[in-house]
Amino acid sequence: MDAASYVLSVAPAFMAYYLTSLGQGFFEKSGVLNLSIDGVFVLGIAVAYAASIYSCSPWVGLAAAVLTAVIFGILLTYVTTKFPVSHGAVGLSIMFLGYGLAGLVGVAARNTYNEMVVSGIYPQFTLPVTPIAKVLMFAIPAGLGILLYLLEVRTKLGAAVRAVGEDPHAATSLGIDVLRVRLIAAALGYSLIGAGSAGFLTWVATWSEGTGINHGWIAYAVSLAAGRHPLLTVGTAGAFAILATYMYTLQAAYNLSPEIAKMIPFIVAIGAMVTFMSTPLRKKLAPPQSLGKRFFKEERTV
Amino acid sequence: MTLLKTYNKDFSSKNKPPVVSVIGISKKFPGSIALDSVDFTILEGEIHALLGENGAGKSTLVKILYGIYVPDRGEIYIRGRKARINSPKEAIRQGIVMVSQVPQLIDKLTVAENLILGLEKYGFITRVGKVRYFIREKSREVGIEVDPDTEVWKLSYTQKQLVELLRALLLNAKVLLLDEAITFLPLIEKKKFYKFIRDFASKGGSVLLITHKIYEALEVADRITVLRLGRVVGTVPRSKVSPDDVRKMMFAERSSQVTYERLPISTPRESAALEISDLWVMGDHGDHAVRGVSLTLRAGEVMGIAGIAGNGQKELIQAIVGLRRVEKGRIRLYSEDITNRSVSKVRIRGVGYIPDQPAKYGLSLENSIEENLAMLPSLTNRLINWGSIRDLARKLIKEFNIMTPSPKTPVKFLSGGNIMKVLVSRELLVARRLLVAYNPTRALDEVTAIMVRKFIKEKASTEGIGVLVASEDLDEILQISDRIAVMNSGRVVGVFSSSEVVRDEIEKLMVM
Amino acid sequence: MRLVLVKRVKPLPLGGLVIPGASIVIGILISTVVLYVISRADPLVTLSCVASALVSPEIVLTFLFLTILGVALLVAFNGSIWNIGAEGQLWLGTAAATYIALFTTLPQAPVVAKVAMVLTAMALGGAWAAVAGVLRAYLSIDEVPVTLIMNYIAYYIINYLVRGPWLGKKTWGYIRTDMIPDQVKFTLLPGSTTVTYEVLVIAVLALIAVYFMLKYTSLGLRIRILGSNPDALKAAGVNVKALIITALTLSGAIAGAMGAAQLAGYLHRISYPIESHTANYGYTAILVAWLSMLDIRAVPVAAYIVSALYQAGISMQIAGISSASATYVFIGAVLLTFTVLRVFSEYSLRIIRG
Repeated sequence: MDAASYVLSVAPAFMAYYLTSLGQGFFEKSGVLNLSIDGVFVLGIAVAYAASIYSCSPWVGLAAAVLTAVIFGILLTYVTTKFPVSHGAVGLSIMFLGYGLAGLVGVAARNTYNEMVVSGIYPQFTLPVTPIAKVLMFAIPAGLGILLYLLEVRTKLGAAVRAVGEDPHAATSLGIDVLRVRLIAAALGYSLIGAGSAGFLTWVATWSEGTGINHGWIAYAVSLAAGRHPLLTVGTAGAFAILATYMYTLQAAYNLSPEIAKMIPFIVAIGAMVTFMSTPLRKKLAPPQSLGKRFFKEERTV
Repeated sequence: MTLLKTYNKDFSSKNKPPVVSVIGISKKFPGSIALDSVDFTILEGEIHALLGENGAGKSTLVKILYGIYVPDRGEIYIRGRKARINSPKEAIRQGIVMVSQVPQLIDKLTVAENLILGLEKYGFITRVGKVRYFIREKSREVGIEVDPDTEVWKLSYTQKQLVELLRALLLNAKVLLLDEAITFLPLIEKKKFYKFIRDFASKGGSVLLITHKIYEALEVADRITVLRLGRVVGTVPRSKVSPDDVRKMMFAERSSQVTYERLPISTPRESAALEISDLWVMGDHGDHAVRGVSLTLRAGEVMGIAGIAGNGQKELIQAIVGLRRVEKGRIRLYSEDITNRSVSKVRIRGVGYIPDQPAKYGLSLENSIEENLAMLPSLTNRLINWGSIRDLARKLIKEFNIMTPSPKTPVKFLSGGNIMKVLVSRELLVARRLLVAYNPTRALDEVTAIMVRKFIKEKASTEGIGVLVASEDLDEILQISDRIAVMNSGRVVGVFSSSEVVRDEIEKLMVM
Repeated sequence: MRLVLVKRVKPLPLGGLVIPGASIVIGILISTVVLYVISRADPLVTLSCVASALVSPEIVLTFLFLTILGVALLVAFNGSIWNIGAEGQLWLGTAAATYIALFTTLPQAPVVAKVAMVLTAMALGGAWAAVAGVLRAYLSIDEVPVTLIMNYIAYYIINYLVRGPWLGKKTWGYIRTDMIPDQVKFTLLPGSTTVTYEVLVIAVLALIAVYFMLKYTSLGLRIRILGSNPDALKAAGVNVKALIITALTLSGAIAGAMGAAQLAGYLHRISYPIESHTANYGYTAILVAWLSMLDIRAVPVAAYIVSALYQAGISMQIAGISSASATYVFIGAVLLTFTVLRVFSEYSLRIIRG
């Protein structure tokens, strides 16, 4: 392999991790702690797989994964913003549901696929494996990242998302509809998470029960390690994608155990959190003040 | 509508049309009635004071007008049309803007980002930079100097309140609700705000000034509505009332108990209870909040620390009890060095502490009186002897006449005054040598507040402990202190004994 | 007409029973519908799987583990410290016990070895949790992501050990450690293949100790107050940093003890990779602690229900659905329903007309 193809091989993993962590980071900026990520990621993969089989089009798979993720994102956001409930508990419930539904949806699709094969129909669609496709798999996510960054720091929507993440009570008083802003953040963020999970299929190219499990958490670690900053996330997503893609090559070349390689993203994430909280970087990269806090005072119109 | 018409006839002063009319508003909170059939009207171009002591329901009423609470019953009319205000956003749409005592701005965002959030004419995809010019122009127009690109945490308390006023102007406010927004500023500073308010009213705007200070209401309002225990006592034009009339409206039969007179001076002992020398303490934002403070407090003496919020008083108090690190300087308790000792080491030496917003920082409301006693390291060992804690709880309940069903009832079910008694009685119990307090009576009704001050003063003079009270409320400082230190920008800028004190002089030092 | 959520003066009467009960019923019904819609699982089969799981003797082991892990989490949860890391603390406990059993000479004295296995497991589990405690106490880093992430670090550390230095000699090609010596295995209860006397003892001790700690010690009282008002504790002179670390350490130590128990009780060795061999008790226990509404007396009840759901998932295989998927759906649906319904124990809905 030449140097270029080494780089290009990382594209699918980069796309999956970057889109997912970009969405995760943007959504969490609005102050909702998102522990549903791994479940939604796993479900997104299964839905993308199923929808691709039923429709014979990977694009339908992508759309279905995005839609599914957004539905769960809206559920999480609505419940945690309207009711005084624990963000963690709602997120973990959705994670469990995601794992479970992924198994049900994926197995049903696989059975359909097998029946189709038996009756002589081969559902076929091509996965993007050309070099140009792989370049796009770097370029499109990175472009989206830049757009999202500009949205976050330059526009009123960005200011509103940061405001409801910092102090939703003050934001309300300033004239912001907290639910509305968080729902917009959820729609954008979970679209990216859904797209990332569909993108994961271009990397592993097959589905079995449990596909993608823990990779959502890696994306979570990617986002934490970059302090939820859309541009820094390019770096952490790239680094962890390289680790994941060349895990076994690294073992052969540098005697780096795959177990250690798998551990690195998580250790880096904790290291990054420590760095952000104990140095002046805190001003820019610390988590939103109200992340995971219940948004409730004496009463609330439902 | 007939009701509305007859109602307006009563107050048809000088032909000003009503802007906001509130009819029969009631609001119940769990366990208490905050508002009971409240009627009142704000006219165009008037400054209307809503006066009442803490707990009278003023804040609830304002929050209903600003869409934060939904009333249980009653109606709101804006320019004669029935309005339903479900959120601050809708209130802003109707031209109603609120400024609270605690600035409701997002610290990490810039001034421009904060201000654009409420401006509906700008869609979500608008660049924040687009309003910068607009903000500059408007701020010059009203004489407020502020850089739109500054992050809000860099501003002082007064500057933040000015930004809030600027926000009201940018939002084209017709009705400005000021919820104790300037109450704790010294008169000199207040005068700037008064001028702003008068200008605003003369251009046809209306102002609802919420306050619990009688002189503030008399100083600036055209009309005064007095609330007591959730009901309207009456609305009176300022020109026709004396301070004493208003007092009687506010406190009714209890007005004889309410006094702002100085409490009897105690006789300080020889020994110094607390010596602070050249103390430097960091604030929350990485710069020094306390800059070289030196003070000596005698045993048996009550010293008050006056100052506007955010001038280092909070940090000074926290440093004394060990809640904040001392960068430089010494703190001595009866000549023992306690600089940078942990809170428990300081407290166990006989130091009582009443923090700001006592119900929030002093007690755990979810827990019982017994548990709130047992949480103090100076009152329990590793194993809790619930029997002796219960006896102690009973003793305090009796001594301080705390109204509670039992020592086991969670404190949150007690009334505000009784919650405060739990804290004060506990802290006076452990304050064998020193009591430190910050805004000890904030949010208490006047009768309870005066009672708390008396308890503290009594303890100082009978048992000879040193008492240091910092408060943003100058009336409180004047009432309780034997000596007064004024803090400004982290420094002590003057110390007065209570016999020679002049209010004006202190206020001047507070804003200097 | 508007609906307004208002805080109740007193919690809903019998809320501690009605709300978890209703959540379980509604959650199971939702799961039944979901399983029918997506996988055509006959609702009657699903419901009968749940019903028979409730009386199945198979659930005793799961019940015991979930009870104690639930108690472990309760120690932290009572102080509003959300330890999501019981899974990692549990498995590191297993690793510590494995080390004692396989790589020291202690097994020559079986009783000493068993005690040492449990104690080192507690020490390692506690220390692992304490890391998150230190980060939370000194740097205000949210313990949720930290404890969660540390689960994976724990998995990979153990995977590394099992593939590398701890790889067994007689494993017939499987990647796993050797079997621990017979004399340090726990003693099975008559008639059971998984439940041991020692586990029962650990369970009873943990329940009593935690109950006593929360009720009669100032540590317990302070942990409870930490959950409602840490600022008041600071002002009172309690070292809140130390308190946070202590609560997490205790929580991790109890979880660690169960790690030793799972090794000596029925696993008897560690197989690679952990993530495919774990029963996920550490995660499932979060549901148990949550369902108990942080009342230790309700933990066994919650653990019983959850272990039945767990078992029901396994029985669902006769309906052609993988046990993991069905269990996840049950747990997710019950947890979500409960989290939302729980609001009504402290709040009520008020209708305002006009």
